[in-house]
Amino acid sequence: MNRMKSNAPHPTVRTTLTPGFLGTLSLTLALLLPLMLTAPAARAAARTKPLTVGFAQVGAESAWRTAETESIKGEASKRGITLKFSDAQGKQENQIKAVRGFIAQGVDAIILAPVVETGWEPVLRDAKRARIPVVLVDRGIKVSDDSLFATLIASDFIAEGRMAAEWLSRKLNGKGNIVELQGTPGAAPAIDRKKGFEAGIASAPGLKIIASQSGDFRRATGKEVMEALLKKHGTEIQAVYAHNDDMAIGAIQAIEESGRKPGSEVVVVSIDGVRGAFESMVAGKLNCTVECNPLLGPLAYDAVEKAVAGEKLPRKTVVPDRVYEQSTARASIGSRQY
Amino acid sequence: MKDDPTLPRQPRLRAWFPGGSLLWPLAGLGALLLFNLVFATGFFRLELRDGHVYGTLVDILNQGSKAMLLSIGMTLVIASGGVDLSVGSLMAISGAVAATAVAKGTVPFGAAVGAALAAGGFAGLCNGFLVAVVRIQPIVATLILMVAGRGIAMLLTDGQIVTFEHPAFVFLGNGHLAGLPFTLFLVLLSLGATALVMRRTAAGLFLESVGDNERAAALCGISGTRVKLWVYAFSGLCAALAGLVATSNVKAADSSRVGEMMELDAIFAVVVGGTSLTGGRFTLLGSLIGAILIQTLTTTLYNLGLEPAIAPVPKAIVVVGVCLLQSSRFRGELSGWLRSRRAAA
Amino acid sequence: MASLKEGRRVKLRHSRSLPLLATTGVLAILYTSASLLYPGFFTVRVFLNLLGDNAFLGITAIGMTFVILSGGIDLSVGAVVAFTGTLIASLLTRGTPPGWAMLLALAIGSTFGGAMGFLIHRYELPPFLVTLGGMFFARGMSFVVSKESVGITHPLYQQASDFGLPVAGGASLPLTGILFLGVVALGVTVAHGTRFGRNLYALGGNEASARLMGLPVGGVKIAAYALNGFCSALAGIVATLYMGSGNPAMGFGLELDAIASVVIGGTLLTGGAGSPAGTLVGVLIFGTLQTALVFDGRLNSWWLRIAVGLLLLLFILLQRVLSRPAGARHP
Repeated sequence: MNRMKSNAPHPTVRTTLTPGFLGTLSLTLALLLPLMLTAPAARAAARTKPLTVGFAQVGAESAWRTAETESIKGEASKRGITLKFSDAQGKQENQIKAVRGFIAQGVDAIILAPVVETGWEPVLRDAKRARIPVVLVDRGIKVSDDSLFATLIASDFIAEGRMAAEWLSRKLNGKGNIVELQGTPGAAPAIDRKKGFEAGIASAPGLKIIASQSGDFRRATGKEVMEALLKKHGTEIQAVYAHNDDMAIGAIQAIEESGRKPGSEVVVVSIDGVRGAFESMVAGKLNCTVECNPLLGPLAYDAVEKAVAGEKLPRKTVVPDRVYEQSTARASIGSRQY
Repeated sequence: MKDDPTLPRQPRLRAWFPGGSLLWPLAGLGALLLFNLVFATGFFRLELRDGHVYGTLVDILNQGSKAMLLSIGMTLVIASGGVDLSVGSLMAISGAVAATAVAKGTVPFGAAVGAALAAGGFAGLCNGFLVAVVRIQPIVATLILMVAGRGIAMLLTDGQIVTFEHPAFVFLGNGHLAGLPFTLFLVLLSLGATALVMRRTAAGLFLESVGDNERAAALCGISGTRVKLWVYAFSGLCAALAGLVATSNVKAADSSRVGEMMELDAIFAVVVGGTSLTGGRFTLLGSLIGAILIQTLTTTLYNLGLEPAIAPVPKAIVVVGVCLLQSSRFRGELSGWLRSRRAAA
Repeated sequence: MASLKEGRRVKLRHSRSLPLLATTGVLAILYTSASLLYPGFFTVRVFLNLLGDNAFLGITAIGMTFVILSGGIDLSVGAVVAFTGTLIASLLTRGTPPGWAMLLALAIGSTFGGAMGFLIHRYELPPFLVTLGGMFFARGMSFVVSKESVGITHPLYQQASDFGLPVAGGASLPLTGILFLGVVALGVTVAHGTRFGRNLYALGGNEASARLMGLPVGGVKIAAYALNGFCSALAGIVATLYMGSGNPAMGFGLELDAIASVVIGGTLLTGGAGSPAGTLVGVLIFGTLQTALVFDGRLNSWWLRIAVGLLLLLFILLQRVLSRPAGARHP
């Protein structure tokens, strides 16, 4: 095999080149600096115009998430707010970069849907120094200083898990083996929905979680994990609890392929309440979903407008969640917005 | 090279699937299955349910079909002395094309599948053009589409997860034929056709000679350019097929995640199977066994109930372990060490 | 053949600076158009943010430059960043002094990189596969350390991440940016001013002749991977400063961004040609694109991937035209 290459090293050329290049680069930057300083600040120019809001979204990993994005985008255009939208493709580091970009741009307020609970202090201190209010949506964060964000608008994930557990306990008369499909490891809803569910079934000693694995909040993984668990536990499984609808829909496919009937032989309960879940309930395959309302747009901009006006906001606004089961699904599917 | 008529006739299977020894991948798979035989209950249980065979082994073949399809194309690419990093992203593109077309409802199913396959084949051809004509190192040339491809898929689906209930499309990844998953037949058909073309025509010989020594091949009148163009286009086609299967499996095109890291699984399958990353001799059957080995490992980890986040650790140990076993120097050191242990005892 | 190579060599000598100049030209064009399009983009603050926000990517990319110069590749960097970051954060919550935690992280990172280099060199394994194994291993281990993101409450950290070198107009260069620039300066010095650097270029240019020249090929190769491991661990430290936490899920796909930055920065993936200084420009291009998308706020963020892909194509074609290296190289 011929691996000989012609680009042999030329130390003399290279060593003289690079420092020279770096020198030129820094000189150019030094010359640009005064120009940058005299450039008009964006904030001053934007003052008189309608509100500019930056929204740092996590990504588009589930139907729930895209419904939330649509709500925040739609409400902005309804209110004549200029929205700067950034999709972090599921990465916290991208979200932080986006928030810092919003600050540099001088937006009037920032809406942040934090992907994890920790790691926001430095960037939020930046926002505070720039006097830009930050409204958190869909999950809380851990910070030492509560004044770092204006308010939090979110569902109570622990309550959702507990509601799912209570419903399941009633359905199974407090007795049965449950398989739990967890969300992405480390994600706040995954942790809290697990916690809430465990607390909810604690009062019914007959209910037992015989297996608990991560389905990554995804259909494909939910299905694959469920297939493996069905082989391992077979007919022992009386119920499936999934941390979101997408995984439940995947699990339902796996249950059907195993020859059992989801919805009757295996009770399936999940959280979120997206359209797919309602369709599944109408088809009799999903038993129950705990709605986690993603239509946070109106609430978020109410908070933004108040925060910009300098009004005092409550620390937390809990979005009420509701349990939907097959009997109520049929009636409400027509009026669902997502 | 190997098909010297003066040599004694090899058994039929070996003649069709020559190349590296199948011993190591088979040994690895055997060890994994043995582990499951001892520690996992019901791993080997097969039963008939609703007219089709049901069990963990069937699941492994069904779930592994995507990696198997990818590994067929990847084997040829690696045999040509290259590598294709873009297959995971091409899976996303193909799934996005087919799902958006089917979801509209106006496009006939055949056209949707055709468009998806054409998209994959064309993207592969672009890779091939960069590698063969512009002569860019394969790892960089295919890196471009690996990076950009997922973005294109996300634009096609407008950042949404596109769901569909089209019966024919759903059948592709979930249907059964004669009691077995349809995907299995898809894999066997692709493998059979590829093996037929490779071993019954001169194509395989051309490919191996280009991968072994492109200059020598050129002197023999074999155009490395043409061989490589076709090989990358074929890999793109395989990726498109795998993307269709993956999308059909969950009745949804999830462009941001489908096929993520699959390129690594496919390359790993080929290398474990006994095809050297330096090109030349290749074994399609070995790659298939490699793909099954990976899926068995994944399913075993699910079965063990291991924390999914920690699952990469055993995978890493298998990757590096298998690589080491293929290094003759390591094998030499290992057997030397074992001998000295025995002598000491 | 020989005369042909000689001819190329002459051409190369003149074209050596062209990739770097082209990269800088692209950066200038991108920066100018973003400044014209988006009010508030052409400010000191945005430029300093570019350095601070992309510090962990940049430091990883500088380390990656060395591995690529040696003719190899390292897929494990993103996972190592996550592992060291998570390790430091969870050690701090257990009361370990920050200095010790950081030293331990740097030691682990260098050892890990060196070990992969050893396997690659001694057993002649493909770097691609060994570092793939390293990636899986480090990613899994970061979840062993902690399943969720760990917050850091150490007061020193708070001070460090709030520290900034005032530059002008109220804007300041954050500590992460200072560290990044420091690593670039160090990288340039090591690459162009040391015996190790010269050996590295020789090894990446042609391993066989480097061996014949009696250069310590094995040692240089292992050192390049160890240096990259060190840089990844340092990037992990910078990431904890940047976020005030250690997140086991961070840096997913970071290796791709780093490789893309290195290539856009004018370093040949076949090894032997390029410079850490070019990588700095490559990282700045990446950061400018990302910031411009945030400023725009209407475009789908996945355009970033497509734009980076196109830039990769552009620069690879450019390198191709300027310095036709003989024959495609195996991964």
